[in-house]
Amino acid sequence: MNQVLLVFLYALLTAVATGLGALPFLFVRTVSGTVVAHTNALAAGLMLGASFGLVGEGTRHGQVQTVAGGLLGVLFILAAQRFLSRREEGAVVIEAGRGKGAQRMLLVLVVMTVHSFAEGVAVGVSFGGGITLATLITVAIAVHNVPEGVAITAVLRPQGVSIARCAAWSVFSSLPQPLMAVPAFLFVDAFRTALPWGLGFAAGAMIFMVLVELLPQALDEGRRAAVGSLAAAAAVGMALFQQAL
Amino acid sequence: MAIFLARSGRQAHIVPMPAVTTPSVLLWALLAACATALGAVPEWLRGRPSPAIMAWARALAAGLMLGVAHMLLAYGLDGHLVQGAVGALLGIGSVRLIHALTGTGELDLESDGTANTTGGNRVILAEVMHAAHEGVAIGAALLVSLPLGISMVVALGIHNVPEGMATIAALTGRGVRLRRATVLALAARLDQVLLASVTFAAGGAVPALLPWMVGFSSGALAYLVLVDLLPAAYRNAGRTSIAVVTMVALAMVVLLTGTPS
Repeated sequence: MNQVLLVFLYALLTAVATGLGALPFLFVRTVSGTVVAHTNALAAGLMLGASFGLVGEGTRHGQVQTVAGGLLGVLFILAAQRFLSRREEGAVVIEAGRGKGAQRMLLVLVVMTVHSFAEGVAVGVSFGGGITLATLITVAIAVHNVPEGVAITAVLRPQGVSIARCAAWSVFSSLPQPLMAVPAFLFVDAFRTALPWGLGFAAGAMIFMVLVELLPQALDEGRRAAVGSLAAAAAVGMALFQQAL
Repeated sequence: MAIFLARSGRQAHIVPMPAVTTPSVLLWALLAACATALGAVPEWLRGRPSPAIMAWARALAAGLMLGVAHMLLAYGLDGHLVQGAVGALLGIGSVRLIHALTGTGELDLESDGTANTTGGNRVILAEVMHAAHEGVAIGAALLVSLPLGISMVVALGIHNVPEGMATIAALTGRGVRLRRATVLALAARLDQVLLASVTFAAGGAVPALLPWMVGFSSGALAYLVLVDLLPAAYRNAGRTSIAVVTMVALAMVVLLTGTPS
């Protein structure tokens, strides 16, 4: 099979795996304020844990570049928030959500999509190490994408988005992976230099999003102990899960 | 004896590292704990800090603590992930239990400006609990390696300054005099020294305990950030400023601790 097509198919597989993260929500029937708080806490923890993995990977390639990329990620979220806040109340509409809820959904989708660019680069660059390494990296990223799909669905589902559409949005957020994997494979050296910046950017945007949106909202709606337990356990679990991969 | 490779010009040479002993762990932890007293300086110079400054101080402490928890997990498990995971759940559970037993679970760490002895006692209790888990983190990190341990001591020492500032301000806001509040804040940190030494000694005697200790302290520290420090910070300053300060602190830990091996 043509090598470029193989890279694209491997990365597409990782993107499709993200949709599996919507499946656990088939068992969540009612969406009360407490459920919203708990799902936001879960999403916050998963995103924190995933970000720690990105930081760990980024610092292997360049510590200062990763931190600088993180700063750019924070500035990106600040700019996105400022852009959205200038819209009229209720003007931001996505799926069934309006206003603040829609704003949160949009930010989460943007952050996770941006984060997928870095993962796509990782898949493409890994092909330079041979098919065995590329397969291992692809499986690792595919498995890692499932809890990311959970995190996305955890924010979308309480806003009334159907399971099928949550899965579709989750896959959509990972589409940059196959799109970036091919150029990263073809121009490995250039992308290797940019990798810590990209990983830092994704991590910075994600952590900032957690601290400025998901966590405060969860603490407002739910009991501190429950929110803290869910978020801490999810963060540690995700960080260890990535180490296992 | 731990050794590491150092480069001097083009030549690599082996540099012997000093062995870490339990008395030296006690000194390292004491150094970190004593940094708490520096938290009194702003109030001594300019009076009680505003609620917003106390909130940013807690956010700074939160970012440093979260960074410490992450670095411990990244460097300290050596593949023992199941033990680390179960240890983390035990750490979270231990803090929840202590919160329930001491009534500090929904405590407002900041003051309402009135003298409130009960509230002041609970602030001290909350700090004793924070310090205990930080002590376990220091002991575990020094068991993993001296460089990681020193990074932890420095990060937690820096973290103790804003946390000390916020604790002292919370006590003076409840009618405690500044000098007494400083002494109380320092005394609340003594268990950090004790637990660092006990953790190091226990882990040295039974190496299989180390991943459990790493997981325990990481889970507990992450939980304390999410349930004590950040909620207190969010109440008194805007979310965006809290997020920015927390991120700056996280970045400090990443730069301080270096890259995973």
